Amino acid sequence: MKENSPQTETFLRFFKAAVVLVIVGIIAWFINTNALGDNPSQPFKLGLDLAGGSHLVYEADVTKIDPAEVPELMAVLREVVERRVNAFGVSEPVVQVEKSSIVAERESNRLVVELPGVTDVKEAIKQIGETPLLEFKLLDPDRLAEQQTLESLDSLVKNSTTTIAIGNAKVNGKEIKPEDPYIDTGLTGRYLETASLEFANGQGGQVANEPLVTVKFNEEGAKLFADITRANVGRQLGIFLDGELLSSPVINEAITGGTAVISGQFTVEEAKTLSKNLSFGALPVPITLASTQTIDATLGAGVIDQITKAGLLGFTLIALFLIFWYRGPGVVAVIALASYVLISLLIFMLVPVTLTAAGLAGLVLSLGMAVDANVLVFERMKEEYLAGKSSQSAIRDGFDRAWSAIRDGNVTALLSAVILFWFGNSLIKGFALVLGIGTVISIVSAITITRALLLVLPDVKRNDVGLWPWLFKTGITKK
Amino acid sequence: MYIIRNKRFFLIIGAAIVALCLGVIAVFGIKPGIDFTGGSLMEVKYVVVPEKAVVEAAVEEQALGEFAVRHSSSEAGEGYLITTRDLNESERAALEAKLLSVSDGGELVRFTSIGPVIGQELKDKAVWAIGAVLVLIIVYVAIAFMGVGAPVSSWVYGFMTIVVLGHDILVPIAFMSVMGELVAAQVDILFVTVLLTILGFSVNDTIVIFDRIREKLKQNRTETRRNIPVPGGKDEIVITYTLLKPFGDLVGQAIDETMSRSINTSLTVLLALLALYFIGSSVTNMFVLSLIVGVIAGAYSSIFIASPLLVVYQEWQDKKKTKQ
Repeated sequence: MKENSPQTETFLRFFKAAVVLVIVGIIAWFINTNALGDNPSQPFKLGLDLAGGSHLVYEADVTKIDPAEVPELMAVLREVVERRVNAFGVSEPVVQVEKSSIVAERESNRLVVELPGVTDVKEAIKQIGETPLLEFKLLDPDRLAEQQTLESLDSLVKNSTTTIAIGNAKVNGKEIKPEDPYIDTGLTGRYLETASLEFANGQGGQVANEPLVTVKFNEEGAKLFADITRANVGRQLGIFLDGELLSSPVINEAITGGTAVISGQFTVEEAKTLSKNLSFGALPVPITLASTQTIDATLGAGVIDQITKAGLLGFTLIALFLIFWYRGPGVVAVIALASYVLISLLIFMLVPVTLTAAGLAGLVLSLGMAVDANVLVFERMKEEYLAGKSSQSAIRDGFDRAWSAIRDGNVTALLSAVILFWFGNSLIKGFALVLGIGTVISIVSAITITRALLLVLPDVKRNDVGLWPWLFKTGITKK
Repeated sequence: MYIIRNKRFFLIIGAAIVALCLGVIAVFGIKPGIDFTGGSLMEVKYVVVPEKAVVEAAVEEQALGEFAVRHSSSEAGEGYLITTRDLNESERAALEAKLLSVSDGGELVRFTSIGPVIGQELKDKAVWAIGAVLVLIIVYVAIAFMGVGAPVSSWVYGFMTIVVLGHDILVPIAFMSVMGELVAAQVDILFVTVLLTILGFSVNDTIVIFDRIREKLKQNRTETRRNIPVPGGKDEIVITYTLLKPFGDLVGQAIDETMSRSINTSLTVLLALLALYFIGSSVTNMFVLSLIVGVIAGAYSSIFIASPLLVVYQEWQDKKKTKQ
């Protein structure tokens, strides 16, 4: 490597420091113009606990579904629910599929719905929940007969004023139990393409002008429907909406056209709503609400205000302490720390990282941790400086020798952040992300910004006279 | 050197703290919050705050089983926190309507309902996450200190780090246990975050001191290489190190030299936390308070427990060798 002349070296040192300061200045200006003020173009993304809103977790019942198909079905479910949520006009809703972690005893598939600004969840829950579940099931005549026998026996017993109910009985030597006479065909609303309102024309035993809902299956559904009808001519096909039997027409012939007609003594209004709901998307799997969370925005606003104040106070206290104890380098550390905060905010803004109360607390906490890298270097520097080295070489040696401690300490902090992130739950994830980003930035700001700025300070020795030699010493003693 | 010379004294104090914490946890127990057990939490604020008994009667009327009513005061205003089993939408609506009717200016501030399955899962996750962090740390420390060699194996450094972590986790848990008794504080998911943060923090403190010990060991040893001839192959080189000073002295020096760093770092973190505690939000107050307790415990343990333990281990190892 070519050695530069001392003048070039000095110029480069000042140049680097200037570049660092200019970049930090630009970041500060950028954040101020884009994220702060009355009408920011790119505001910080606030979590539900700060901005107010609702957080709903639905549990999907996938017990009847081939495990290989579950991910695809969950994706369909997500789309359907998202369409519904968008339909009632919430700004930036989040709908996502979540799987229980591998450590959970029971695997479950969930759908997380976040509705910022919606604190009256009643309506939202109603609309999401109302999405119809459409199923086609074949009637098993033998089972139906058994059930009817059982029912008639049951009613006989009941009529005889006893309180016994018949749970099972033997008919022709075969034991029968209460059972659903309808058998799943696998054909459900997930194969639906469109649904529309029609009126019966009065042929084939239909009541003239009865409102009907005609559903059109997609390609896969049409094939399935054709197969089912072809194999079961003469049997009854039950059409269920949200588990209730609507109608149970007899299959006269194989239907290959991919359309089915649902009749159920609807009023015009009912048929209209049903066809609209079906078009919007019937749920491919049944879901139940597992957890609800709503937070009033006024609570959040206070939290932001207080945490900001706490952050400013914390920063001031740390700055005063650093300048008091480390003097010249302390001032440099305060600048590095301010840059650290600015860079963190920039990343939160650009990624964007959703800020929660825990996340903001994490940021203020990582402020304290960011100081650590600086303190480690300064302590090393002080030792070298007091041992008689000039300030410049003390700075360089200080960085070299503090590096292994900074590295080992921060790698473990990063490991914790990664585990926390994996640990799931949006609250924890926000905190982990802030902690992880904070750890990386604190290393970078300490070894680049602090270093570049320290190296432009004058080169002095401990026994020189003047202000600078004093500024490189630490503590409250005179030595 | 003061700490190493009086290591027995400090270790006894450490053991006493651990025993005290275990005792506190055994007596008071830990109150898991609805995050882990499943259940509902409803916060209602009022302009005219009604008597607690009135609110209790209103909840009682809904026949939701066991419940608890606590007074709450936050940025949103004064009111009550009502904990019940997990509620479905209609139960929630009924309870909300009832609560708002008992006094003027009632408003629902927040509502959380967590099903028992999700709660159980979170509990499992918390245990696994803490376990995973511990394992990763022990492995990382063992690898990072691989070159350290005699007289103490790098795995012992990893193990001591974990022993100290045990202490650092016990202290805030015991604190939470006491808080549970005093102000009915519950262990929620934020508290698990606190524990994991303290893990990272404490290990950082311990590693900085171990790092200095590693450096001291390298500076104060002589290296002897012996070639052991292997028949039909290359010679095997065996390197043995001889320390020029007693291990305990080197550890003592390392502690002294890192003392001001240990204190200054913990102090700055505490400054940030104290600011958060005194003017921060009431939502995060318990979170911050348990962090403060954990940071103090972590700072104490890495100075007064981790390194003295290393020395005690080395002396014990020496004694065993001379006996053989």
